[in-house]
Amino acid sequence: MGLLPDEIKAAMQGVIPSHVVTCAADGTPNASAISQVYYVDGDHVALSHQFFNKTKRNLAENPHAMVWLIHPETFDTWDLELVLDHSETSGPVFDAMDMQIEAIASMVGMKGIFKLKAADIFRVISVVKTSGERIRR
Amino acid sequence: MIPDRVFEVLHGPAYMQIGTRDAALRPSHTLAVGAVVHDDRETVTVFVPTARARRILADLESNGRVALGIALVSHEAYQLKGSYLSTRPTDASDLARQETYRKALLDDALRVGYPDEIARPLTQGFAYTPGTAITFRAEQVFLQTPGPGAGTPLA
Repeated sequence: MGLLPDEIKAAMQGVIPSHVVTCAADGTPNASAISQVYYVDGDHVALSHQFFNKTKRNLAENPHAMVWLIHPETFDTWDLELVLDHSETSGPVFDAMDMQIEAIASMVGMKGIFKLKAADIFRVISVVKTSGERIRR
Repeated sequence: MIPDRVFEVLHGPAYMQIGTRDAALRPSHTLAVGAVVHDDRETVTVFVPTARARRILADLESNGRVALGIALVSHEAYQLKGSYLSTRPTDASDLARQETYRKALLDDALRVGYPDEIARPLTQGFAYTPGTAITFRAEQVFLQTPGPGAGTPLA
């Protein structure tokens, strides 16, 4: 039994973009949307590396990341504290993410722009289902 | 100086995320609902739900570094990076501004074809009051639309 609850898996299907914050070695934070957070196992997720962007450069300097996920049906949200473990450019996780990225790119009109370069595998440090964030009716 | 297009996008309807970090460079996040660019075109006030602000406010008080990601439903996106100036509880005029902003977010999501059962909870379901207004000085502006140009400095 890992840290990630089963109910969080639906928030990792790419239906609603997730958000990731990283931080450079000089202490400057970076806030960005990310098209996919991939469930690897109960204690690991993968983020798609599609461009050599600031998120990727920050992670090379400082492995900590914070991801915010939204469930596409309940709209519950979670904060995931992550630490980068390693990157994969082949294998089952990469192949599965590559297929999902293609599907997401087609769905949102970004085919040819979204292209997986690597699957960055992170260890989950904490998972918090955020409270007080939704208006309860 | 915040460019004209980024000025427009900041006033919505856009999806906005604040990023901060603590002394150990561990990042934090919260969503923001509504923003105002001040007359100097450098100072920005964003509104966050107070229930989600505890950690980012602690970060801002300790080191003052802030990033604001701004994205449209079209994927056009920008990022501001800057230094924290002040915070205060939101007031009635902020709330009115936020309500206009939320209505515009919903109209925009429906206009581009999101079904009501997604558009409404996504744009209207997140708590925004009680709110905290966070003011910072934008020192850098970047293009963040997905693609090879992402990260290009605009100011």
